[in-house]
Amino acid sequence: MKEVKHIAKLLRATKRCIQENNINELKNLSNQTIHSATISQDGDNIIVAVLIYALGKIFEREHYQKMQGWELFQKSLIKNLGLSIKSLESEQIDNARTYIGRIRNSINKISGDLSRYIKDVFVKAQINKAFKLYEHGISTEKTAELLGVSLWDLASYIGQSSVADAKVAISMPEHKRIKIAEEFFG
Amino acid sequence: MKYLIFDAGPIISLTMNGMLSVLEKLKQVFQGEFIITPQVKNEIIDRPMKIKKYKLEAIQVKSLIDKGILKMSTKIVPQQKLDKETKKIIQTMNNVLSEPSTNEKINLIHEGEASCLAFSNLCGVDNLIVIDERSTRIMIENPKALEDMMERKLHTPLELNNNLLNQLKQYKFIRSAELLFIAYKKGLVGLKQDKNLLDALLYGVKFKGAAISSTEIEDMKKLI
Repeated sequence: MKEVKHIAKLLRATKRCIQENNINELKNLSNQTIHSATISQDGDNIIVAVLIYALGKIFEREHYQKMQGWELFQKSLIKNLGLSIKSLESEQIDNARTYIGRIRNSINKISGDLSRYIKDVFVKAQINKAFKLYEHGISTEKTAELLGVSLWDLASYIGQSSVADAKVAISMPEHKRIKIAEEFFG
Repeated sequence: MKYLIFDAGPIISLTMNGMLSVLEKLKQVFQGEFIITPQVKNEIIDRPMKIKKYKLEAIQVKSLIDKGILKMSTKIVPQQKLDKETKKIIQTMNNVLSEPSTNEKINLIHEGEASCLAFSNLCGVDNLIVIDERSTRIMIENPKALEDMMERKLHTPLELNNNLLNQLKQYKFIRSAELLFIAYKKGLVGLKQDKNLLDALLYGVKFKGAAISSTEIEDMKKLI
């Protein structure tokens, strides 16, 4: 795990935002993770980025909080966030990974629609973070690998963004590229 | 003989637009082979075959290999040789950009894209790479632009290793959009031939992941 102190700081802030129900700050925290993830491409950093983004989405949907299983999820979340922070502070990295993993696994203990909804949020959060890495310049296949998402899912997500419309993406005049293609096909 | 080498992205965007039949027709008029590497096959067939959402697409792509439309690179270059060259390319390209304060290298590309470049190096005949994703293409065609863009996004200065870049050859790239342009011009799409069709084809692949701007699409439409 790279940047242990930074991750611990992020998790502390995450826990505070949840306890204070400060969803906007929670979403800002998620953006802070992606710059360092682009350079370090550290798996732990990426997992935390996905976790924080997903939590932002989950907590902004207030109706989830009225659904069966919510209390169990929230209790497990706060407990495991606290334990992962303590583990990071005492540099017990493997324990921290276990507790972070338990947050996501706790969804399996909830029955009914809430479990399905939250799982879906996490899957979408992975694709969103993969897209963010792509937006920062990492190739599609590399980002798909780092986030464990399918290239097929990522393709539609990228297609609906304006990334390709940035000037930087135009690395050759179009008539030249067409000429290459036409000459090749004869 | 010449080789058109496919990365995963173009096959994905063509499949998602129901345009694989166009690939078959293009192959009939092409004096060469359409190539995929084992690394690309993994992304477009082996992995999606295990995902129910994309299994049907994977089966459709696999049928192109069964029919001989797509040829495995291993029939031309031994896999061991390709793997070795792929590693060399990854090693080079993933060391081109670094953050000077930590000297941390930025891993930009994956073995799928790298294997296409590797095959291009090893095949020994005229070849063209079809790649829809932008990072690999920009890294070869305009590396300074990629460096500038990443510096802006990361809010940190980066260092570009030109010596490493000079070790890479000047690959030729097109995207699925240019491929469909050729098919349209040759009347191979199998739908009513008018400008609406071209517009639909080009925006179709754009919305399924091809890194092409609206400006480039509009420029392309003027070339008809």
